[in-house]
Order: sequence, then structure tokens, then C-alpha cells
Amino acid sequence: MSIHHLTASQAFAGTIAALLLLVQLALFRSVVLAELITLYAVQSFFVAVISLAVGLSTAAWDLTALAILTFLFKVVALPIYLRGLTRGISSRVEIPSRINVMLSLLIAAGLVGVSFLISAQLPLKMGAFLANADLGTMLSIVFIGFLVAILRPNAVTQVIGFLTLENGVFFGAVTLTPGLPFIVGVLVLFDVLVAVVVFAVLVRVLVALRSTAATAQLQDLAG
Amino acid sequence: MMPLTAVVIAIPALLAAITLLVPSRTGGPLTALGGLVSAGCIIAVGLGSAHGVTAPDALSSLFLLPVAIVYSTVGLYTVWYVNAESAEGNPGELFRREFLALTNAFACSEIIVPLLTNMAGLWVALEATTIISALLVRLQGTLAALEAAWKYILIASCGLAFGLIAVIVLYVAGAGPLGEHHVPQWEAYVAAAPRLDPDVIRLAFIFALIGFGTKMGLAPMHAWLPDAHGAGPTPTSAMLSGALLSDALYAILRFAGITNAVVGGAFTHVLFFIVGLVSLFVAAFFLLQQRDVKRMLAYSSIEHMGVVASGLAFGAPIAIMGALLHAVNHAASKSLAFLAAGRLSERYETRELDGIRGGVATLPFSGTLFALAGLSLAGLPPFGIFRSELMILSGGFASGIWSAAIAIVVLLAIAFAGIARWVHATSAGAPRASVPVGERGSSATYAMLLALVVVVGLGLVVPAPLWTLLERSMALVDQSR
Repeated sequence: MSIHHLTASQAFAGTIAALLLLVQLALFRSVVLAELITLYAVQSFFVAVISLAVGLSTAAWDLTALAILTFLFKVVALPIYLRGLTRGISSRVEIPSRINVMLSLLIAAGLVGVSFLISAQLPLKMGAFLANADLGTMLSIVFIGFLVAILRPNAVTQVIGFLTLENGVFFGAVTLTPGLPFIVGVLVLFDVLVAVVVFAVLVRVLVALRSTAATAQLQDLAG
Repeated sequence: MMPLTAVVIAIPALLAAITLLVPSRTGGPLTALGGLVSAGCIIAVGLGSAHGVTAPDALSSLFLLPVAIVYSTVGLYTVWYVNAESAEGNPGELFRREFLALTNAFACSEIIVPLLTNMAGLWVALEATTIISALLVRLQGTLAALEAAWKYILIASCGLAFGLIAVIVLYVAGAGPLGEHHVPQWEAYVAAAPRLDPDVIRLAFIFALIGFGTKMGLAPMHAWLPDAHGAGPTPTSAMLSGALLSDALYAILRFAGITNAVVGGAFTHVLFFIVGLVSLFVAAFFLLQQRDVKRMLAYSSIEHMGVVASGLAFGAPIAIMGALLHAVNHAASKSLAFLAAGRLSERYETRELDGIRGGVATLPFSGTLFALAGLSLAGLPPFGIFRSELMILSGGFASGIWSAAIAIVVLLAIAFAGIARWVHATSAGAPRASVPVGERGSSATYAMLLALVVVVGLGLVVPAPLWTLLERSMALVDQSR
């Protein structure tokens, strides 16, 4: 693993990190379900690209294989399935947010600031000189994903929030711990498993509620 | 001892496959037998760990005990449960087989967690428990069960994503001293503690506490817990509350061990104190206003996890040992409480606390045991929880943190009032005219009797090997000493 390769892939990682974060912020702009699903697919594509780049540059073939798996599952299969699931339910219906777009963007910006401040202060003695930025990006995406899941009272939006949150962790795992492909592999595996279980439950919830996908209606257990 | 731990994992794993294939008439007793044999093996593992230097270490052996208690009692209970549930006519044979298979699979995943000291593997195993238990929670298929499963898997998975960040950050911290391709083994991190960066480790612990604390039911990350405990099948509630929460605690303790070794105890003590007190506060006041028997028990779980966190916060050896023992006691008392509550709500055909009156007269055995479990959970002697709470509080007073110890006593008193009120209301008085009186012995009564033996037994005496395990586990957690 030469320094030349590391710097190249790390600079690339910086670009991808910025794109991931932009997509994550765009989640707040969009109020149409179909658009949110597209955003998730785009973000997953960037995640697949970065793991492919890291995999190729460090000659980690398991990581390369995982990149292809990520592409097939997160960019192709899951978005198609999600679209099918939401078609006819509320794909063209606007999803309200608990607070308005500007305020949520402000909160998100604050979270990004905090994430990068925390990360910048840590002396990360990794070979990667962008390790702090990568950590900041991971934390930002995770916090914003969490915020999306909290702010949008809709079952599918909550799943999107959770899935993008996982994309953030995936990005962190790939860029920060290239020596740990095992955990990245398991992460992908559990992504699939969790997604399957989440959707098994989700489909039943949707069927039970018939017309809407609003978890706001599921308030019997509050308190 | 490696073969024995392999047996402990293999039994529920095999049973998960078998119970799916054979009729539930056979599957139920097989599960009961599996639970008892597993518990026996786990005790043998614990004895081996306490007497010799055989693997696994004391902390792993200790945290197998809550699973042993819960799996053996729930296994026995399921024999009655699957028939009682089918008598109501709602589920069918498929439900029963699926339930038994998932119960064994859940037990298997719960046994694997404390056996792991590989920090990445630990995360994987906890994620597996989430997936299996979410399937169990939604099993009854009602809208409430679906919502609970939905909320559970979403919150728990988000929480575990934070746990994964903790693992990643820990790995980054270890990359310097241990190499960029090291195996994330707990022992390696502890051995390399002086060379790990304190700030990075602090960050890892914060994420671990948030992430695994979500799974442990610590407030303010507890929102999923009352729903999941309330909506799932009763044996599942017992397994979630008794064993899963202690599994998550085990993961936090491994992180705490590393953190204490690197930065000293004060950092983890403060954080444990915050989550402990908030959990106690939330639970104490929600306990007062619960209407549903299983949700009341769920809030009691949050309360007791708060007690455990407080014990860890005090940092005195006796308080830490009390906190560890409390996890075992809580598993026994909460199993007993859930199993007895399941009997009561089956007879009264309601989970509303207001609907259950004269429990002791109606179900002489289960009603009495429910009352005893309630008194145990409220912290009265001669039950085990009284002993461990006393250890925690004496540790708190001994280390001179008077204000904190007094605050905990006050919150425990409020929680006591909440539980005692419902124990009295549901147990005392004449039975309802519409509800048939009397009960016959069944596997469920044996299950509860078994739990009661542990609940009372650990109150009367702590066996010497268990005490050894507690002391050694305390030394593993409190690496700063």
C-alpha cells in the first residue's frame, strides 16, 4: 500500500464524502416520497463507489465484492422494491415535516458543525490524512439520518432516514477501518437482514392501515 | 471448557430447527428440556470459570447466568403457553411452531452475546438478537404488536448503528498501537490501554453507551421498551427483559472496562450516573400511572437498569459487584413476574391492571407468586434484589457520594409505591364472579417455582463460586483500580 495510492483514494474519499453529505441534506428539501427513494439510491451509489475505490486501491478483494453487493442491493433492488411498495399508497402525496424546511436545515447544519468539531479535535493516528473529515462525515450523516427519522411522521420516510444513517456508518467503516473488511462485510449482510425484517413488518403495517403510511396514526401505545 | 460452551450454543440452535419441523406437542417439551440442560451446562461453565482459569472469563460466565435463568424458566413455561394460546383459538399450529423456533433461536443469540470478547463480533451478535426478537414481538399479528415491532426494530437498529460507530472508533483508536489490521479483541485493547488515545476512547464509550444503552432500555433511549414488552408474547417479554437487557449491559461493560483502563474510572462513572438517574426518574413516575400489567413490568425493567447503572457509577467495588449481581437477580424476578402475569392475564382475559382483582384467590399459586415477584421487584427482603440494591447503596454511601445515594433511595421509594399499589390492588380481595377460580399444576407452575427458587435463594445466600465470579468480573470492569 503506497503513499501515492493512499492519498489518491483519500482525496477521492473527500469528494465522495461531500457528495454523500449533500444528498443527505437534500432529504430535507424533498417532500415527495419517490424523490426520497431516488436520493437514497444515489447516496447508496456513492457508498458503493467509495468501497469499490478503497477495495481496488488496497487490493482488498472482499471489499470489492462488497461494493458490487452494495450496488446490487442498495442501488437497484431496495429502491425498486420501495417504489413498488409505495406506489398507489402515497407516492405522489407530500409528506409533511414536523418543522419547516429552513429550520430543519439549520438544525442539520448545526449537527454537521458539531460532528466536524468533535472529529477535528481527535488525534487520529491513521495513515489516512483525511481520517478526521471522514469521521466528521460519518457522524454528520448519522445525526441527519436520525433527524429525518424523527421529523417525518411517515413509516417509509423513517425507513429512508434509517437506511441513510446506515450508509453513513458504512462510509465510516470503509474509509476509517480499511483493515476491518470483516465488519464491513457483516454490516452489509445485516443491512440485508434488517431491511428484510423491517419491510416484513412495514408491509404488514401498511396492509393493516390500508390507505396511508403514516405512523402518526399508530399512537395507541404512547406513554 | 470450550466444548461445553459449544454445547450451550448448539442446544438452542438445534432446537430452533427441530421445533420448526416437529409438532408443537413435541416441540414444547423439547424446548423445556433444552432450556434446563442449557442452564445446567451454563452453571458448569460458571463453576469452571470460578474454580480454575478455564475460558470464558468471569464476566462472560456471569452474564450467561441471566440467560440460563430466563431460558430454563421460559422453556418450561412454553409447554403450557402454546396450548393455552391455541385454546383461545387465535393462532394455529404454524404460530406455535414459529413461536417455539424463534424462542429457541432468540435464546441461542442471547447465549452467544456474553461468550464473545471480540468487540465487532459482539455487535453482530446483538444485532442478531434484535432481528430475531423483533420477529417474536410481531408474532401475534395485532396492529399493536406490529407497531411495537416496528418501533422496536427502528429504534434498536438506530441505536445499534451508534454501537457500530463505537466499534469503528475503538478500532481506529487501536489501529496505532495494535496495527491497522488487528483483531478487535477485548483483551488486546485492555493490554494496550496505556498506548490508546484517551480522547478517541472517550468518544467510543459515549457512542457505546448511547447505542447499547438503547438496547439496555436506559432512559432517554427507552421508548421502544414498554411497547415491545407489552405487545410481544409473555414468554418473549420475559426473555427481552430478563436476558436481552443484561446482554446489552454486558456489551457496555466491555467498553467500560477498556475505557476505565485508558482514562480512569471517573469518566464512565459520571456518564453512568446521568443515565442511571434519568432512567430511575422516568421509570419511577411512569410506574405510578401504568394501566397495563406488562407495561408496568417494562417500566420496572427501566427502573432496575437505572439501578444497575447507578451501581456502576458509584465505582466502589461492593457497588459494582452489587450492580452485576442485580442483573442476575433482575432476570430471575422479572421472569417470575412476567410468567405469573401471563397466567393472570390469561385467566382474566385482560392485561388491564384494573381488570385483575383478587388474583391470589382466583389463582392461588400464580396469584401468590405474582405478588411475591412484585414485592421482590419493589426491593423488599428476603429477595435477591434487596441484597443487590443494598450492596449498591452501601457502596454509594461508603464512597461518600451521599447526595446521589439519597436521590436513588428517594426514586426507589417512589417506584416502590407504584409497584406496591398494584400488587395490593391485583392480589387482594375477593375474586370476580365471572372468572373461574382455582388452578391445576402445569409446566407453567414448575417454571415459576424454578424462578422463585432463584429469586429467594439469591436473597438468602450468594454461593461462593458466584461471589468469586462477581469479584473477578468487578476487577475486569474496573480496570482503573
